[in-house]
Amino acid sequence: MNFDTMQILPRPSLILLCAALLAPMGSHAGTTPPPTNRDQIRKDVATPSMKSSLVRVNSTNQNYQLLRPWTKRSPYNRRGTGVVLTGNRILVTAELVANANFVELENPETQDRSPAKVQLVDYEANLAILAPADPTFLDSMTPVRIADHLAVGDSVEVTQMEPTGSLARTPGTITTISQGSYPADGTSLVTYSVSVPLQYRDNSFNLPVFAGDQLAGLLMRYDARTQTAELVPAPVIQAFLHRTKHSPYQSFSRLGILLASNRDPKFRRYLEMQPDQSGIYVSGVTTGSPADIAGLKNGDVILSIDGQVLDDDGNYEHPMYGKISFAHHIATERFPGDEVAIDILRDGEKQSLKATLAPRDPQKMVSEPFLIDRAPSYVVLGGIVMQELSRAVLKEWGGEWQKNAPQRLVYLDEFQDELPADRGKVIFISQILPSDASLGYEDVGMVVVESINDRPIRSLQDVTEAAKHPINGFHYIRIDADPRLLILDAKEVDTGAEELKRNYNLPALEQM
Amino acid sequence: MGAKIEFQSRMTHLRIGIIALSILTLISAPMLFAEGPDDTINKMRRSLVRIQTVSQEPDYTSPWNPGRISRGTGAGFVISGNRIVTNAHVISNARLITVTREGDPKPYPARVVAVGHDCDLAVLEPENKSFFDGMVALEFGELPAIESTVMAYGYPIGGDRLSVTRGIVSRIDFQTYSHSGADMHLTIQIDAAINPGNSGGPVMQDGKVVGVAFQGYSGDVAQSTGYMIPTPVVRRFLADIEDGTYDRYMDLSLTYYPMFSPAARRAKGLPSDDIGVIVGTVFGGGSSAGIVQSGDVITAIDGNPVASDGSVNLDGERVEMAEIVERKFKGDTVALDVVREGEPKSLVVTLDKPFPYAKYANAYDVAPKYLVFGGLVFQPMDQNFLNANPVENLRTRFIFDNFLSDQLYKDREEIVVLSGILEDPVNSFAKPYLYDIIDKVNDQPIRTMQDLANAFDQKADRYVLEFLGGSRPFVLERNAVDEAKDRILSNYGVRTDRNLTE
Repeated sequence: MNFDTMQILPRPSLILLCAALLAPMGSHAGTTPPPTNRDQIRKDVATPSMKSSLVRVNSTNQNYQLLRPWTKRSPYNRRGTGVVLTGNRILVTAELVANANFVELENPETQDRSPAKVQLVDYEANLAILAPADPTFLDSMTPVRIADHLAVGDSVEVTQMEPTGSLARTPGTITTISQGSYPADGTSLVTYSVSVPLQYRDNSFNLPVFAGDQLAGLLMRYDARTQTAELVPAPVIQAFLHRTKHSPYQSFSRLGILLASNRDPKFRRYLEMQPDQSGIYVSGVTTGSPADIAGLKNGDVILSIDGQVLDDDGNYEHPMYGKISFAHHIATERFPGDEVAIDILRDGEKQSLKATLAPRDPQKMVSEPFLIDRAPSYVVLGGIVMQELSRAVLKEWGGEWQKNAPQRLVYLDEFQDELPADRGKVIFISQILPSDASLGYEDVGMVVVESINDRPIRSLQDVTEAAKHPINGFHYIRIDADPRLLILDAKEVDTGAEELKRNYNLPALEQM
Repeated sequence: MGAKIEFQSRMTHLRIGIIALSILTLISAPMLFAEGPDDTINKMRRSLVRIQTVSQEPDYTSPWNPGRISRGTGAGFVISGNRIVTNAHVISNARLITVTREGDPKPYPARVVAVGHDCDLAVLEPENKSFFDGMVALEFGELPAIESTVMAYGYPIGGDRLSVTRGIVSRIDFQTYSHSGADMHLTIQIDAAINPGNSGGPVMQDGKVVGVAFQGYSGDVAQSTGYMIPTPVVRRFLADIEDGTYDRYMDLSLTYYPMFSPAARRAKGLPSDDIGVIVGTVFGGGSSAGIVQSGDVITAIDGNPVASDGSVNLDGERVEMAEIVERKFKGDTVALDVVREGEPKSLVVTLDKPFPYAKYANAYDVAPKYLVFGGLVFQPMDQNFLNANPVENLRTRFIFDNFLSDQLYKDREEIVVLSGILEDPVNSFAKPYLYDIIDKVNDQPIRTMQDLANAFDQKADRYVLEFLGGSRPFVLERNAVDEAKDRILSNYGVRTDRNLTE
């Protein structure tokens, strides 16, 4: 499963950028790129030109086969255009370098090359910073400035690099600024939608978009049918860069609440809201989230945040974007550690709360939204392969994974917020490698492990620990579906371990 | 199994043809019994019955509607006691049943004496007993041997008169009976051409009935695979209805699994003799609840040793151990030898609860339950409902699919869902709740349709509806509901706002 297929699009009509790139590039007869004047660019020193701010990035990525977690898939290449920043850094989308084995930079002018390393990556914000191995590599280049104050109606240019190194610039217009979904599951941040008729020039994975000579954003997907591009916009890039100044890096905050619209007048009367009051209904609070710590409760109505009045759908009036979700304020305009003021209506009474912002920690979630840049963990006990449930694993069932993946696993992932606070991880049996120890259980698979040797299983560490304590020489593995109980002979498991490894060519019987 | 079809469903395509042809036959010269050269065919002509029905299927999308009317043709045969045996699916949801004899144009109205939807069998009785004058009752034989030849009789497509096809017994096995979709019983596969219209017809060997033709695969899935209900199943049905009521199949209401694992056998203190199956789940409320436990190893049933693959030796044949329970009746007992915690135990289970999968079975001759309140339509989830409303709502599907295995019936007897919205200002903003499960109304838990009706019948200024996992409560205001009631019912053609009984 590639990281790019993690894109759950807000509208089904949108086509993945990477998917579009799979199409043969062919010739583009009839469309001439806007002319670029090399001489002018070369001479133009006073205004940093785009071209001297862009590098070609080639990334060789390799994903794990998550249901055979000891195996990597074939490597693949992605090309993109990186944007030179101050401090010898290059900005790209996180998708470009997801699961990267090797990243190389190329100066389009000189064709000089340098390996690079991924210095920092935020998969939720879909942004990454690369650092060239050669510290002088960017010396001849000019860092770009990030655009400020862009609004709906402003003109921008999507920039593509031709194979020759020259730039193709396609003008477009920002049509919408709203909180939109990002490639990482369950993530939404502000996006610019840009109406622009794009022709792909080169296998370019992320395209910089400029307003004048300032960076307006990085294109993260393009729908060829509606000719709409969606950008990781300048405000997210700025907020990201601001965060890079603090160590350790902290991602974009979220309050940790589930929301429901309050537009139904019957419901407003039931909540005893005044006709001049508006706000968004809280239908769930994630345990341990900033909202939970602040004391927000299911059934509260959030009237305002930091003094900005919310409408019944949770939007506030942004001075430049117009109406936008309060989540934008929390995520992008404020920073982890900041305190925000929340006015709520509870049982007809107004109350004021203070929440200290923090990002979510995806690794602490019951079912992690993505597994990138690390090997999936697993334990093999007597041929029984146990893994952690994650959204990434479920996506191994393909585009229709919600339908095709085992229903119980999909259910546990989807409604993980409803699980007890101490649930820990969901460990499931992904397959059984037939062996002497597991004889008779070949057909068991895709079931959740509840306990091993009477010890509850909430992590793979629990599995290895429980496996050290067989009962009367047997391992008792309790699962949540028939046949409910698997019994292994502990001695057989131990003596057969080496043969199992050899037989199935496993590098190790566990990977943590 | 999705490919397996019931003959009834394929008959819908042929219905017009069959009816038109039969009218022609009725108009043309009536045939009297003709003496054939062969005694068997002669006897069959006096035993075979052609059954024609007008049926009405309930509409589970608009449950107040009377439903679509359709016609069908099937076969049946006369048995002792002036009775006609046929398939349940031939006469399901019938509003009118007529039976005719081979060669006699006169249709005789008939009534259903008993029907077993779980075994796809029914017994009919013509209102006029003169129907049986000159008819010959057929007798039942035993299980035919594999490879032996059988003859199927019926009224399949392709003509209007009796049809005979020959085949051999290909396989004797447990199979799903597609009429209910949830029951498995002993089934015999034959390679005789069995087609729509053969349903309910006898399959003969040595002058005796060895099966009732009932289902097959459509031609694009598998050729020459017809299925018949063998006589142990037919006999059991006839014995069950002797007291005038059909009690359905009884069930141990537990799941069991092979004990192939040598490690598990050692851990359970069992010898390596390939005897015993392990109990997975014991369903609460079922016959075995409180008697058998998960993890018990069943080593014998009624004294018959149970092999580790779950089979027993019955009359010289290896059959699934369930077959022993299959042949029993309500109130009978089953003796189980089990090993629990290493100790042998003898358990006795009294079979007093039917098969627990009723919710997953297609139901017939029932009226859909529903309740309309404030334009919101509520229905209980069952297989009939799902056949008409393909619900993809993850939570609702999960609760339905795992209702038994996760013992979710402890929370609610019926899974009542918001199945439709008759849009009106009174129920604006209800759309997101479609197919959600109603959990509470004004803080009262909703476990059945009746609970819901009771909650709505109580006077209150407003009704706060809480759905399982719903994003927020949904509110209906009483004045608005009252004011909208007649308007909604008449606008949407709803004749009455509820039906709470099947």
